[in-house]
Amino acid sequence: MTEIDRRDFLKLVGVGAGAAAAAGCSDHVEKLIPYVIQPEVISPGLPIHYASTCRECPAGCGLHVKTLEGRPVKLEGNPESPINRGALCARGQAAIGRTYHPDRFEAPMLRKGPDQLEPISWDAAIELLSLEIAKAPGAVHVLGGDPGETAGKLIDRFVRAVGAGGRTVYEPFALEALREATRNVFGVASQPWFDLTDVDLVVDFGNEILDTGLSPTEHQRQLAAARDITARPDGGARLVYVGPRLSQTASNSDEWLPAKPGTEGILALALARVAIESGAGTEAHRELLSGVLADAEVNTAAERTEVSADRIVRLGKALVAAGNPVAIPPGVAASTRRAIASTAAVLILNDVIGAVGRSVKIPPEDAFRKRASYRDALALVKAIEDGKVGVLMVHDCNPVYSLPKAAGFEAALAKVPLVVSFASICDETSELAHLILPDHTPLESWGDLAPRDGVRCLLQPTIRPLYDTRALGDTLLDVARSMGPEVASKLPSGSFRTVIEEAWSGTELHAALSRGGEYGELATAPVELAAAAGRLEVVEPVFSGEGDFVLLPFPHSFLYDGRSANLPWLQEIPDPVVKVAWEPWAEISLGTAEKLGLEFGEVVAIETSAGRIEVAVNPRGGIRDDVVAIPIGQGHSIGTFASRSGDGRPGEARGANVIDALPAGVDESGGRAWLAERARLEKTGRHQRLPLLQFSDNKRGRQLGEAIALADLTAPHEAHEASAEGARSEPQANEVHEASAEGARSEPQANEVHEASAEGARSEPQANEVHEAGHHEAHEIREEFQPSADADEGSPYRWGMTVDLDRCTGCASCVAACYVENNIPVVGEQEIRRVRPMSWIRIERYIGDGEPELVTGRKHPARNRESLGDVDVRHSPMMCQQCGAAPCEPVCPVYATYHNEEGLNGMVYNRCVGTRYCAVNCPYKVRRFNFYDYALTRWPDPMRLGLTPDVTVRSQGVMEKCTFCVQRIQAARQLAKDEGRPIGDGEVVMACEQACPSQAIQFGNLRDANAGVVKKGGDPKRAYHALHMLNTRPALTYLAKVQRGPVEG
Amino acid sequence: MVPFRPSRRTALSLLLVAAALALLLLQGSGGLAGASAGDALRAESICEAQALKARMEKNPDLEIEIPAEFNRLFPTLSACQSHDAAWDEALPGPNQPVPFSHAHHSGKFQLDCLYCHSGAERLPAAGMPSMEVCMGCHLHFPPEYDSLEGIRILNQTWKDQLPIHWVQVHRLPEHVQFRHNRHMRAPDVTCQRCHGLVETMDKLYLVDDTRWWQYALPTKKLEMGWCVICHRESNVSTDCLLCHY
Repeated sequence: MTEIDRRDFLKLVGVGAGAAAAAGCSDHVEKLIPYVIQPEVISPGLPIHYASTCRECPAGCGLHVKTLEGRPVKLEGNPESPINRGALCARGQAAIGRTYHPDRFEAPMLRKGPDQLEPISWDAAIELLSLEIAKAPGAVHVLGGDPGETAGKLIDRFVRAVGAGGRTVYEPFALEALREATRNVFGVASQPWFDLTDVDLVVDFGNEILDTGLSPTEHQRQLAAARDITARPDGGARLVYVGPRLSQTASNSDEWLPAKPGTEGILALALARVAIESGAGTEAHRELLSGVLADAEVNTAAERTEVSADRIVRLGKALVAAGNPVAIPPGVAASTRRAIASTAAVLILNDVIGAVGRSVKIPPEDAFRKRASYRDALALVKAIEDGKVGVLMVHDCNPVYSLPKAAGFEAALAKVPLVVSFASICDETSELAHLILPDHTPLESWGDLAPRDGVRCLLQPTIRPLYDTRALGDTLLDVARSMGPEVASKLPSGSFRTVIEEAWSGTELHAALSRGGEYGELATAPVELAAAAGRLEVVEPVFSGEGDFVLLPFPHSFLYDGRSANLPWLQEIPDPVVKVAWEPWAEISLGTAEKLGLEFGEVVAIETSAGRIEVAVNPRGGIRDDVVAIPIGQGHSIGTFASRSGDGRPGEARGANVIDALPAGVDESGGRAWLAERARLEKTGRHQRLPLLQFSDNKRGRQLGEAIALADLTAPHEAHEASAEGARSEPQANEVHEASAEGARSEPQANEVHEASAEGARSEPQANEVHEAGHHEAHEIREEFQPSADADEGSPYRWGMTVDLDRCTGCASCVAACYVENNIPVVGEQEIRRVRPMSWIRIERYIGDGEPELVTGRKHPARNRESLGDVDVRHSPMMCQQCGAAPCEPVCPVYATYHNEEGLNGMVYNRCVGTRYCAVNCPYKVRRFNFYDYALTRWPDPMRLGLTPDVTVRSQGVMEKCTFCVQRIQAARQLAKDEGRPIGDGEVVMACEQACPSQAIQFGNLRDANAGVVKKGGDPKRAYHALHMLNTRPALTYLAKVQRGPVEG
Repeated sequence: MVPFRPSRRTALSLLLVAAALALLLLQGSGGLAGASAGDALRAESICEAQALKARMEKNPDLEIEIPAEFNRLFPTLSACQSHDAAWDEALPGPNQPVPFSHAHHSGKFQLDCLYCHSGAERLPAAGMPSMEVCMGCHLHFPPEYDSLEGIRILNQTWKDQLPIHWVQVHRLPEHVQFRHNRHMRAPDVTCQRCHGLVETMDKLYLVDDTRWWQYALPTKKLEMGWCVICHRESNVSTDCLLCHY
């Protein structure tokens, strides 16, 4: 009897059913709608990329907007931009959602009642506004964020032309202290730029350079290059982080100094003193700073900062020994009422160690530029309260949300006869506005931006405005014209676009548009310490209110100041540190949790002098006992994704807004003080199930998120082989753990700082004992394999990837890029609680090697294994491993998942019947199931317009997963086929790889010996395969993180 | 070996085709609408006039009467016939919003397929011609053409600057990623191989090209089995990920 394999059997069985099905004919009618006049540049099916600029934060990253038939479908970094050099962070990736947002205003609106907006024509709206402006001479005020360079100047001209009261620039995260401190220390009022190219020691005083700092994408890239282990065998740059919590930046540092919150300046001065004593600085430094440094004695500083004196001395000496060190001043989370002093102290430290002019670049004074000012915003509130404002025009900001309740803005707004909002998407402020004149979204707009001197970026429209909106500049010009020829003559004629063209008249605009802007060198001013620097007084911060805890509001990694809270992907991607999505949380230490009897998810009331908020707690080891930290950005009461209402109407807030518990505090210059309040914690007895996506940071000694100590990496190869017994990826688990237990991990320091909490938090000694005694080698039978072998013999390709954990910072840019590239649905808060995320790639986060599995009598492993001062955190992206022996394949009854001729683990949606066997059998848990028709139920109009036609939209009951952006492989194949050659190395770039700021991901052909992916994956000591012991033969090779250890003095 | 036996389906469709043909013949033999007044055949429109002229050419004895207003050069007889055929409910295929005849444009006038479907060789999508392409010729047409309803609709949509909502005839499901240019570049693949003899069709329809593959499973045109047969014959990969992702 001939052998019938299962496939043939199934086919035969299918004949009967198939014959019946074939007769069934679809009645579905699709329409083909051609252009009336087809634009010459548009070729249906081929994407066009336009250069533009990201407006999600002030960094000003360049964009390449991929458009298909006139619709932007994906944002990628512009490789020509000197800021991001082709990468793009999660926030930038998600910015595409603004254009297709369901909460957009579709036309100008006039308010008839509290919840009643009625459409009004543009002509009528502009006439109404111009009449009101004419009626209130001197009482018209413009309040807004940074609208860009030319738009800002146009607003200034408008304000003068109509005789308005003034213009206030307000940004919640303005860098006022940095500018003011630069003026104090160097006598130049400008914003310094920090260049991490080729640095070898970075001390981040709570700026969060890799996360929400000055220019995160740029700094990630520069730091990754400076730490490149292949080019710098000594490990390259070291990163030291100072701050009260194990933030994302801290988790990528080599040493974490959990100083008392707000004492960064004291620490910086002590370091400067040690540095000077060790021979750094000039005679001028000694002379000028003698007074300042007299107070900065190491032992006193150690007492005040709670960082041990030895450490300060060691770090100070390291700063002197380093060839190119740099210190980064405090960021938002560290801005106290004395922010200028502490920022100034860090700038002085930079000057002492010789970083100024090298890595710290100070541009010439830029007094002409209107800067954001918190004091002005508060003054405006006062003016409103005094009845001096008749018309308030609000653009590019959401002060009702982002100003503290204590500032009284919301209450004052009721006194303004006419509030005009230019918001394109509804927010808390537009909800209180009388007239809404919606602006275009950035992808629909002309505009420009000067993120720093020498760099001018351009925005150009990449889609025809979806709705009846009008650019802010055009609205202002129209209002001025409607006020009469006298006013109009003071403003440019033509449209805002012509104003932009005029502003760029000195340059070749077309060339600039194709490059994304004009990129020159940053002009720097020759600076030296000003006399004022010698009079600096750095003391401990002042906190108002009472309580055992300092309230530490920190910028959410994805939501920034709250402006991104309405973008669905940014809500759904879990926080890189605590892995909570869709909700705010309160971080407290494990010690505090034990003391107060709090567990994960218990709701506490946090009471300050300014207010009371209720948040669910998230106890963790990586935070000081005296701090309660809450992310800024949640707690919106309006927005389809930002609030719980689920539509664009005001409703229940999504958790608490930490700003409600903050006073209207200012620092010495009038800048905003975020770290200003003490808090009391009180149990409420309620419990909330936080949407959590990683339940334990214990990797249990498995081959996930591996690390290797630098000493082991540089040790001679022979010695290594002997211990590893030949297995390529064997050594990490054993050796690294021993090394790290001995000292690579900064365990001793942690104990110094916080003996009690370190001991209580993690049963470290016990874990080590277990690990050393019963390592899980006994039950492991690993087979060596060649990943390149797992494809058809004749195939020139076996696709594979390397992920370098030493470069990965866990920023989740790749996750956001994958969501947008592959039409992955956002499932919402409830589904995330059921742990049904659809992301094809996730970032796993592990602390240390963890406690191994399968040891009888072990304690239930702790949920959180962090401890104070411990930086042994491994961020490990996890996606489909494209296994050569995939466990998902044999269990599929319908052959919907199979191994293709090029080694990909294919997933055929139209074959899938949804048994979910594959997901159950996948050891990496990377398969996602469509429990609902998410595309229909979770994507409100017009979000569907943003879908990529290159990728099928999956329907209910279908399994999906990463197939290495196969659409990109196929697109590259077309070109190669036409030219009759194989696909070259680097021709196919995955979405995740493209987005990664630190270039941790590399994709390529494993059968091409010269491919980068082969060379990288061939690293004998760092390369390993995830869960190698299961013999799944993955095509993904991970490169272990390198533990560089604390800096040496 | 089992001899080939037509299935019930094939037999049924043969019967249907025969019936349709008979119906067509019957209709065709019917006289012109509203034709005779007295002895002479009188034309009521330009199209009828053209038809009468054609009949007279064959049969010079025929008495016809053509009022001056209908005695025009355009629209030609062929245009008139194609116009009517493209909206003929009896013909297979969906009625389009405009009675566009491929037989007229591509058959009679020998317009290259690529003149309108310019992406067919270059792009993943063959593309539908924009209104501008239609009007590139039609704008130069004499006003008499307005006697055809289709032309009137065309001119009106152009005047309103609106597109025509064509009904799709060759439709692939959403989960298929098809590249038109790739197929055109393959040897021996002509437009007609998949689309049928379009240049002979007044009204476009999906030509039934049922094939029998392994296990005698019939597959209709544009169904996956139909794709796979060709892929196998021409030794092209049948990897699922080639088209489904």
